[in-house]
Amino acid sequence: MNEPILRVRNLSKTYMQGKIPVHALSDVSFDVQKGEFLSIVGPSGSGKSTFLSMIGLLDKPTSGSVFIDGVEVTKAKDSEAPVIRRQKIGFVFQHFNLIPTLSAQENVDIAMRFARMPKSRRKERSIELLTQMGLRDRMNHKPSELSGGEQQRVAIARAMANNPAIILADEPTGEVDTKTRDMIVELLRGLSDNGQTILVVTHDIAVSSKTRRIISMRDGMIESDKIIKTNL
Amino acid sequence: MFDLILKNITQRKLRTGLTIFGIALGIFAVIVMGGMSEHFNQTFDRSISLTADKIRVFPEIGFGGGNLNESKAREIKRVPGVADAYGLLQAALDPESLGFFGGDAVIGVEPEKIPSLLKDTKLTDGRFLAVGDGYRTVLGSSVAREFNLKAGDEIQIKSKRVQRASSITHARNFTVVGIMEYTGSFFDNGVMIPLNIAQKFYDRGDTVSFILAVPDEGVDAEDLSKRIELNVEKIKTFSPEQLRKQIEQSLVVFTLITISAAVLAAIIGGLSVMNTMLMSVSERTKEFGLMKALGAETRDILYMTMGESAIMGILGGIVGIIGGGALVYYLNDFLASRGTILFSVTPRLLIISIVFSTLLGVISGLYPAYRAAKMSPMEALRYE
Repeated sequence: MNEPILRVRNLSKTYMQGKIPVHALSDVSFDVQKGEFLSIVGPSGSGKSTFLSMIGLLDKPTSGSVFIDGVEVTKAKDSEAPVIRRQKIGFVFQHFNLIPTLSAQENVDIAMRFARMPKSRRKERSIELLTQMGLRDRMNHKPSELSGGEQQRVAIARAMANNPAIILADEPTGEVDTKTRDMIVELLRGLSDNGQTILVVTHDIAVSSKTRRIISMRDGMIESDKIIKTNL
Repeated sequence: MFDLILKNITQRKLRTGLTIFGIALGIFAVIVMGGMSEHFNQTFDRSISLTADKIRVFPEIGFGGGNLNESKAREIKRVPGVADAYGLLQAALDPESLGFFGGDAVIGVEPEKIPSLLKDTKLTDGRFLAVGDGYRTVLGSSVAREFNLKAGDEIQIKSKRVQRASSITHARNFTVVGIMEYTGSFFDNGVMIPLNIAQKFYDRGDTVSFILAVPDEGVDAEDLSKRIELNVEKIKTFSPEQLRKQIEQSLVVFTLITISAAVLAAIIGGLSVMNTMLMSVSERTKEFGLMKALGAETRDILYMTMGESAIMGILGGIVGIIGGGALVYYLNDFLASRGTILFSVTPRLLIISIVFSTLLGVISGLYPAYRAAKMSPMEALRYE
């Protein structure tokens, strides 16, 4: 078997609420292979968003390790975190988080700017990705001129811009209608079929049921880890 | 990244405009006040350079007060090391309407001493005074422009004489025989007339206002100044260096007052940049968090936020320079018709203004940029 693209070992996170310790994550361990499309589900407060923040280097664990593409990202210094984020991770957020003053193309372009990619290459790549997302004719539109589904597709294009090892999607369908939801999930599945590793955090069973693996969390721990054999 | 900076600036046009206006007002003040200070400094430098080689001799009781007999010039001339010494009589052109900035002055001088007094100053019209000239005059460029005179015209000079308890004003027309070129010195506001005519017209007998002593070539003016004081009674000398120091001291105070006022105005402009940038950073908290999540480094965020404030500073500087320059131009034009110029916008002042406005923008943007750069991406993304 190949080296897993994501390796999580004994990951724990404890917050202090005043003087009371709150265990948001307790000893979480699992592996994800390249090209997997998995979902993390669980009720509010189960620790799934905290978990996503740890993998995305947006927060630091109390103990444990995360390896992405063989690199232990939990040991990264603050100055190294931006490089790891732009090289290894692509984020898709619930609220799309597009920059309102920039066009769709510029929103995709900005991720590559921070990776110091040359302008001509950035342009080429952003057009390529937006075309892949079916947004070629919407490239010069600002987020306010796009529908929720279109905005989320721009966000997915942005997440893919730097060819990350893994895409972390936090409730990517939380703000869209069911039709758009299905379209976004299909898009993510298609990317996964092409070898992109995608980890989705969701409440929505309709979304998780279309992924190939479901990790359920409860009280900061993994409750179950199921491979879905029969998919759509 | 520069295009992103420009996009952010132009996105909030009214706010950006008001901030730039704030900086522009400050730089406007720097140009106007600084221009005034520069002009005084230039006039002083040019005036000094015309008479830098001469020692000024005044009556012992001080400037303006008391009379200095012309015979003192002969005594001074006998002091070893003195090449020449001659008296000058100075009076206001119109004693009844003295301007705030001194106004025009009549200078009585022996015609044969003019080459020594004015060095290589040339005429734009007519001739210099000649021995034997009566009520004739050579005008400085500003006086000629103020009264719109050329060689052959006449100018009225007034003298005020105190008789018993009352003063009587006499007026007399002098024929203009020459107009001097612009020198940038106080001679531009001068009306030169023959010394003997000045003494008669102002009823000053054979007295003068002060004497200029010209040192022999190679003689140290400082030493000679002391020797003159030792050898000639009831006089006080001012060497070129002493005079320079004294005028510089008064100019330093003036410069400090004008520049402080201007800098204060500019700092207020800087605070408006800081306020705008703090608002902007606060509004874009989520945006900065997102950028960090996308891999932006601290330096990227610093560059973007400080770039915005620096550009606002530069634009404010340019607008302030244009506004201040326009006002100074029209004021100078207006004042020129009244025989004076008050402002000089020098390349040095322009460079100082633009550097100052840029620095102001950068410094004012430091704290907001630091706040933006230090944001935790997770907290910033959660910010609503």
